[in-house]
Parts: sequence; structure tokens; C-alpha cells
Amino acid sequence: MRWFLPAVIVLFLSGCANQSYVVLLPNDDGTIGKVFVTGNKGTTLLEKNQDGVLIDSPAGQSFIVSKDKITKDFGIALAATPEKPLVFLLYFETGGTKLTSESRADIPRIMAEINRRPAPDFSIIGHTDTVGSDDDNVALGLKRARFVAELFDGAKIARDRINVASHGEKNLLIPTRDNTPEPRNRRVEASVR
Amino acid sequence: MLKLRLLALFAIFFVSAGSSFAQNNAIGYVKTVQGNATVTGGGQSVSAQLGTPVQIGSVLRTDKLGSMGVTFKDNTIISLGPNTEITVDEYLFAPERDELKLGASMTRGTLNYVSGIIAKLKPEAISLKTPTGIIGVRGTHFLTKIENED
Repeated sequence: MRWFLPAVIVLFLSGCANQSYVVLLPNDDGTIGKVFVTGNKGTTLLEKNQDGVLIDSPAGQSFIVSKDKITKDFGIALAATPEKPLVFLLYFETGGTKLTSESRADIPRIMAEINRRPAPDFSIIGHTDTVGSDDDNVALGLKRARFVAELFDGAKIARDRINVASHGEKNLLIPTRDNTPEPRNRRVEASVR
Repeated sequence: MLKLRLLALFAIFFVSAGSSFAQNNAIGYVKTVQGNATVTGGGQSVSAQLGTPVQIGSVLRTDKLGSMGVTFKDNTIISLGPNTEITVDEYLFAPERDELKLGASMTRGTLNYVSGIIAKLKPEAISLKTPTGIIGVRGTHFLTKIENED
């Protein structure tokens, strides 16, 4: 209730001003990020669920946006949200190009997901840990990604919808210092979108 | 040593170039469409359909009954409500070269944004320009409504 009243005042008393606004929502996992909104009169930080601000309002004048207003203004945009990408983490037996048995079992699941989606695109991205040089790790990640890509030769998806790449050691799953062995970072991420 | 490294780089280049997995310049694809929606780029406007590619510079538009959703290569998701226009000005997704950027500008309508890998690796690389201000994110999900007074 404490938040509701200022919201009503802001939204209805400033009737002739520009009503462009931003509202923060929780992520899928329930965590809440942050949004900075910078207009002519300063920057407002949004960091709570349903926190909103008029884009050209003075700094700090945030308010809670009701569920009803969110549905009224954004119902159609929200209904158009694409299905969340499905991401598989694939791992190799130590030192080789052989997938672990768990990861091998994921391959048919990935194929099924590609077939299930109406207009799929697919990326296969190789990753390493931080042992070794940046360049060597990009090359190693690409080798891993290309090995996985071959397993999808029979997938029902146009080749130009498959992206094979390497992030080397620049997109760690488990953050570590340089030159740190970390098996969980030596992976291929396969994303079906 | 330098020679070896150069050789390795060339090898990577040629192996990638010869790959049977042809790359294209799409940075994302249309995944949902209702009513009339278009993707305009390079002076050409196409009616948005499932699988229509989005490229750097693409302008996404919906009419008063339209809506559209796009998923980008880094798993960023956006969806547009009716009577909306948004341009993808910049998009870089090459963490291995420290190249990360997602810059868009929106002139009208309603937008739903769900962050992807670019926001995770470099939050300050994301920006959405609007006629009255700029929205920056720190790995998150937000909605924005832009009223255009023209």
C-alpha cells in the first residue's frame, strides 16, 4: 500500500507528460537483476520486482507497477515471447574426443528438441578451462565443437541454421583464475533455439 | 614461436572456412509472429515469418494487430507488442575476441526483453535507446512501453 499511492499519483497526475516507462521483472530462476534508466533529468536504478519508472522522470522516482497494468500494456508482447532456448552441456572423457556416456545420451534428446521446434536454429560452442594460452584454447574449443557437430550430420535442420564456434577460455561456466584446471569448464554448449 | 602461432591461426581460418556448416550473417531469427510484422534491412522489407533471419541494422515492425518474438544467437530474447518499431543497431557475440555488444533503439510500442549470454559476460555492453532516454541492464528481464508524441 505504501508503494501503491505514489504509483497512482505519478501515473494519473502527470497526464500530459510522456508516459514512456520501464518495469523490471524477475528472471526465470526467481533472481532479480537491475536496470538503469537514464533520461534528461538523471538516472534511476530499478532493482525490485515490478519496480517501474517513467523514462523522462527525475532521478529516483520509481514506483511499483501493478500486475493489472503490466497485463494491460504488455500482455500481447509477453504472449509473443519465444520459447526459452534449451541448453545442453556436453563433456568429454579426460584428454580425448570421446563424450562421456551421460553426454552421449543427450545427443538423441538434442535431436528430438531440434525436430520438435517449429523454426529451430542451433549453436555448438566449444569451451576450455584457463590452462594454456588464449589462442590455443580457442583452437581446442573449436576442435571440440567440430567433433560434436559431426554427431548432428543427420539432424533435420538446414546447415545454415547451425553455428559452430569456440569461445576458448572467455566464457567460463565456473569462474577461475588463469591457468586453473577445471573439468567443468572443458565443455561444449549445445543450444537449441 | 610467433611463426607457429600464425600457422595455427591460419589453420583455424582455413578449417573454419572449409566447414560444411556454412555460417551466415544472421544474428537471430524470428520465432513467433501474429498478425502483420516485418523485418527490414538493406532497403528490403520482408513479411516476418517463423525463421526469418534478423541481421545487424534490421528494423523490426509490428502493425496495430501484430506481435513478434526474436531469439538472438547469444540466447537473448525480445518480443514486440502491437504498433512497435525497434532497430538492432549493433550486435557482437565473439567472447573469444572480447567482442560483445547489443545496442538497439526503439521508437514506439511495447517490448519484452530477457537477457542472454552477452549480458552475463559484459552487462555494460547492452543498451536500448528510446526517444527520451537510455535503458541499461545488469543481466535481467524488463518491459518497456514507448509513447511517441510525433
